[in-house]
Amino acid sequence: MKLSSAQFKHTARKNLHDVRLQQALHRLQERFVGARAAALTDIDDLPRLRAAATEIRQHALTHLDVYLEQFERQVVASGGQVHWARDAAEVNRILLELAARYQVRKVAKSKSMVSEECGINEMLAANGIEVIETDLGEYILQLAREPPSHIVAPVVHKNKEDIADLFVRHHHRPRTTEIAELCREAREMLRPHFLSADMGISGANFLVAETGSALIVTNEGNGRLVTTLPRVHVAITGIEKVVPTLEDVSVLLRLLTRSATGQSITNYVSVLTGHKRASDLDGPEHFHVILVDNGRSQLLGTELEAMLRCIRCGACMNHCPVYQNIGGHAYGWVYPGPMGSVLTPNLVGLSEARDLPNASTFCGACAEVCPVSIPLPDLLRHLRVRQLEQGLRPRRERGSLRVWAWFAQHPRAYAWASRLAARLLRAVANRRGMIRRLPLAGGWTDGRDFPAPSGRTFRDLYARRTSS
Amino acid sequence: MRVGLFVTCLVDLLRPRIGFAALRLLEAAGADVVVPRTQTCCGQPGYNSGDKQAARALAHKLLDEFQDCDYLVAPSGSCAAMIRVHYPTLFADTDDAAAMSRLAARTYELTDFLVTIAGLQTVPGTFAGRITYHDSCSGLRELGVRKQPRTLIAKLPHVDLQEMHEAQTCCGFGGTFAVKYGDISARMAENKCAQITATGADAVVAGDLGCLLNIEGRLRREGSQKTRVLHIAELLAGETPEST
Amino acid sequence: MNSRETILARVRRARTSSDAVIATRLREHPRGPLPNMSEDLLTRFRERAARLASDVQGPLSAEQVPTAVANYLRERSLPVRAVRWPSIGSFEWGTVGMSVEARAARADDMVGITGAFCAIAETGTLMLLSGADTPAATSLLPETHVALVPISRIVARMEDGWDLLRMEHGLPPRAVNFVSGPSRTADIEQTVTLGAHGPYRVCIVLVADAVTGIARPVVG
Repeated sequence: MKLSSAQFKHTARKNLHDVRLQQALHRLQERFVGARAAALTDIDDLPRLRAAATEIRQHALTHLDVYLEQFERQVVASGGQVHWARDAAEVNRILLELAARYQVRKVAKSKSMVSEECGINEMLAANGIEVIETDLGEYILQLAREPPSHIVAPVVHKNKEDIADLFVRHHHRPRTTEIAELCREAREMLRPHFLSADMGISGANFLVAETGSALIVTNEGNGRLVTTLPRVHVAITGIEKVVPTLEDVSVLLRLLTRSATGQSITNYVSVLTGHKRASDLDGPEHFHVILVDNGRSQLLGTELEAMLRCIRCGACMNHCPVYQNIGGHAYGWVYPGPMGSVLTPNLVGLSEARDLPNASTFCGACAEVCPVSIPLPDLLRHLRVRQLEQGLRPRRERGSLRVWAWFAQHPRAYAWASRLAARLLRAVANRRGMIRRLPLAGGWTDGRDFPAPSGRTFRDLYARRTSS
Repeated sequence: MRVGLFVTCLVDLLRPRIGFAALRLLEAAGADVVVPRTQTCCGQPGYNSGDKQAARALAHKLLDEFQDCDYLVAPSGSCAAMIRVHYPTLFADTDDAAAMSRLAARTYELTDFLVTIAGLQTVPGTFAGRITYHDSCSGLRELGVRKQPRTLIAKLPHVDLQEMHEAQTCCGFGGTFAVKYGDISARMAENKCAQITATGADAVVAGDLGCLLNIEGRLRREGSQKTRVLHIAELLAGETPEST
Repeated sequence: MNSRETILARVRRARTSSDAVIATRLREHPRGPLPNMSEDLLTRFRERAARLASDVQGPLSAEQVPTAVANYLRERSLPVRAVRWPSIGSFEWGTVGMSVEARAARADDMVGITGAFCAIAETGTLMLLSGADTPAATSLLPETHVALVPISRIVARMEDGWDLLRMEHGLPPRAVNFVSGPSRTADIEQTVTLGAHGPYRVCIVLVADAVTGIARPVVG
């Protein structure tokens, strides 16, 4: 996927003034935030469940090498094959080899964020292979040639009128804005593709080391179709997705679906192990798993390791007041919101996404709702440390930081400077005590007044009070 | 009970009245209050900008200044959380870890201290009217300050607390965020002000001056002069703009 | 060094794994915190399945099943031609005017009749295993999915389903599908719409008697 994180501020500003997007984001927030809260009332002891989920993910990461090898052994034992990909290019090379081996002309895909990382659609198309996204949201985006703006609800930025227009252009059927009709239309357009695809590509929400299974969580049923009907099933997922046992999956699912969409369970949870057995009446003849590193392993053993616990529920973005106002596209890559602000700089390079770690108030709503207790603000802060160390912050910012630090460590100079500042700020205020414009702080005063000080610092007033 | 008042840099510079209000409340709670004169800043701006070195230097300075206090109290959830939650992290695995943890353990946000430690029974404030309370993020999520201010507000006989929708949603301040990402920050403030206005409150109250500056600045820019913007200490101590 | 070795080397650089810890975890597959359920399993299952928009019928005796299924379809003006899991036997579909074929499902099948390996009361979910005479697509391609579920196979939680799977089958089959109501999507304006790519409706017929073939493939 094309990276545009460097345009963060520009896109964010544009999105703040996009009325339809604002309505869509408001709707997302209303539905998802409320649904999650309601669904979690069903859990008897949420802190305990959350601690258990965190332990499972952390345990898997702590022993990641052994679990990956165990997973691989089990896949092979059930007749499948595991491929290891260091980066996006290698994912694409492996896929192309598989496509050639099985003479694939058409691929049906269910939603996979890792495949977005790797840009596999463009690569397959460039090699003459037709690719159909079958998740309704992803299908709409494929028609519109747009990237997803949310990891769970990828087309949240479009409303039904946008989608109706798009369908008319591509389906040449009468226009409808009835959501149920739009869904049926997409079903009818996509059904033949499921039946004629040679290869199905899915992601995997979890990999189960105990059994060598790829587990996918879906609502629409497209995930089941692409992993049941085509001759070849390829699951593409990150190396961090492995968990030890089926019991561990049950714990994680209780939190994943409630955190994501507020469902107690999604419509379909499919645990896929190997290819069609000799006597089976359906199922793919070939089963492949591509384990993708693409920058993940370099987070292990660092201050950022906790990020790999992520189960991609999207709760952090649903609850993030920054995401809620600017939407997912501003983040400029596959993963938006707080989890994206941590992941993107790590996967694409710190200097390519300078705004992301900084565009947070550290309000902590993300960490509060994270089902696997990822301390997202701490991880963002750590990225800020790295940015400063690597000289990736603007000169003026570094300069002001140095000046501030010097004064704050020299109390007499500080007292003098703050006394001066209090008077100066008082002097430029209007009669209501507000400052309308502040040089060097236009970011503040463009949208707000700045309440002026009273003119005397606390320390001066206190000194006078205690001496009298 | 010797209590060190950490005034905070924003209060010192921008609204000293909050410092005196805090002082009055602590004294009302029976504390022997000291205000170390060399205090400046807890280091949070540096810490959140990635400058751990500056943050550590200021933590050391603050530790020295409040060494002989039984408690350190700040009229700010954000500064109190910096000391209570983040100092121990900053000094983990260093020789100062134990000293910083001890400092952290005796550090409190003002309302938390008044309710949890001092058990303050009556408050001197005299405000009459409807107010709404904004939960500032750090105090709320890092220190669990939610009931404490409401417990104290309930002691004001003529105050009617009308909760706003999304009282726990960030106002958009976020320190340097408010300047670096001014338009996003202003939009968050705008949303917050809409919730405040919808309550019809005479005053919005919060525990952090940063949030108050943001909210007041936005309200006034929108042309709203009616809703007053008060720090919880001002409300409780009766140190409001009219009273001084 | 190939990619496998490169990635594993990168992972190992940061790890100190203990094989013994992992062997124990895999062997004992400990359960996490389990939800409390105050109701009996049947009540809980019915209530939760209905919440997920499944239509729940019964419990019925085995001989009542064909009539109930036929009525369900006719009341909704649905075709009475169906495809069923070959594992399901001994129902007199013909006497209620239904035409039911035992084979793998095809794209034009409108009604699919399956059993279920077991049912999970916690969430009102069906657990289906693929197999020689329990194909996966029967519960997926048709617009209407009818599932016959013996009440004796209602278990409390997903963990009980895993235990049953280990006990009766050892290793998992190609596909274990948990089905919780009709397929749905909320991708357009976060508005839940039933019937995305899978069935538009799921009819769960609870069966009071033991009937061969509806709960699990006949061993052999």
